[in-house]
Amino acid sequence: MAKLSKEAVAQLLEPYLDDLVERHDVVDGALVVTADGHLLAKKMDGDTSVKRLATMGSSLMSLGTTITGELKMGGCRNIIVENESGFAAFMNINQKLVLVSLTNSPNGLGMLLSASRACSTAIAKRFNENKTDKPGE
Amino acid sequence: MEESIKIVFTGTVGAGKTAAIRTLSDIPVVSTDVDVTDEVKAIKDTTTVAMDYGEVALDEQTTLALYGTPGQERFRYMWEILSAGALGVIIMIDNSRPDPISDLDIYLENFAPFIAESCAVVAVTHSDISDSPSLQDFHRYLGSKQMPCPVFQVDARDREQVLLLIDSMMAILDVA
Repeated sequence: MAKLSKEAVAQLLEPYLDDLVERHDVVDGALVVTADGHLLAKKMDGDTSVKRLATMGSSLMSLGTTITGELKMGGCRNIIVENESGFAAFMNINQKLVLVSLTNSPNGLGMLLSASRACSTAIAKRFNENKTDKPGE
Repeated sequence: MEESIKIVFTGTVGAGKTAAIRTLSDIPVVSTDVDVTDEVKAIKDTTTVAMDYGEVALDEQTTLALYGTPGQERFRYMWEILSAGALGVIIMIDNSRPDPISDLDIYLENFAPFIAESCAVVAVTHSDISDSPSLQDFHRYLGSKQMPCPVFQVDARDREQVLLLIDSMMAILDVA
């Protein structure tokens, strides 16, 4: 099975993140990280510590999956962190990838989730269609 | 009134933190393992990215809560979160790695403020693969760092050996 380098996976992911952030005013930044906490691709301005955010994203999604497993409520679809100045959303793309997206809009949660879900589905489909491309290895 | 005592297992990737908690726990261990995508794949397929959690009943009133941290330094924020309120930390070092003493140093430095207020026990694993550095080397190194923590050689799958780490920690705290 072909194993893509992380650089190659990042190149594949960047157009999806560009589309997510540029087409939706409410989305202020996004990144894709591996389930074990490595940053793969980002579209984010400012001085946010994206490497720390990447590892935190993997911890959060894994905890979310553990919690929903304990509660027998099926798989964890996303985790939303509400802040004073907006929202951060974390969602599993597939077993190996996590999408993290941010909005600074206090009213932007619906749009953030909707756009991020569409992006996540598109990325999952891309890797599913090309099963020889194994991300993050 | 029921009491819960918290202990943290930390240390290098593959040292046996999850195994030690599974060995001791009376309940199914809560784990947050995910697929590995980096060089760790050479030693195992999954890794802890948030925490492990298990429990041991010490007596009818007292439960020992066992928390395991991720080993990788990029998850350092979890080390801080999980050590809050803990009685002590067990630092597990895989002796088959290239530089176990440097590995130990990473955890001693990161947990130094916590250890100063509580205590630490060092557990050296995989000594069957590599017996160097020796326990004496670890002991000397800890002495040179003014951190006189007890050091044990353990097999994380052996309940008696892991219990010895807990007993040792309790003994230190009784004396302190």
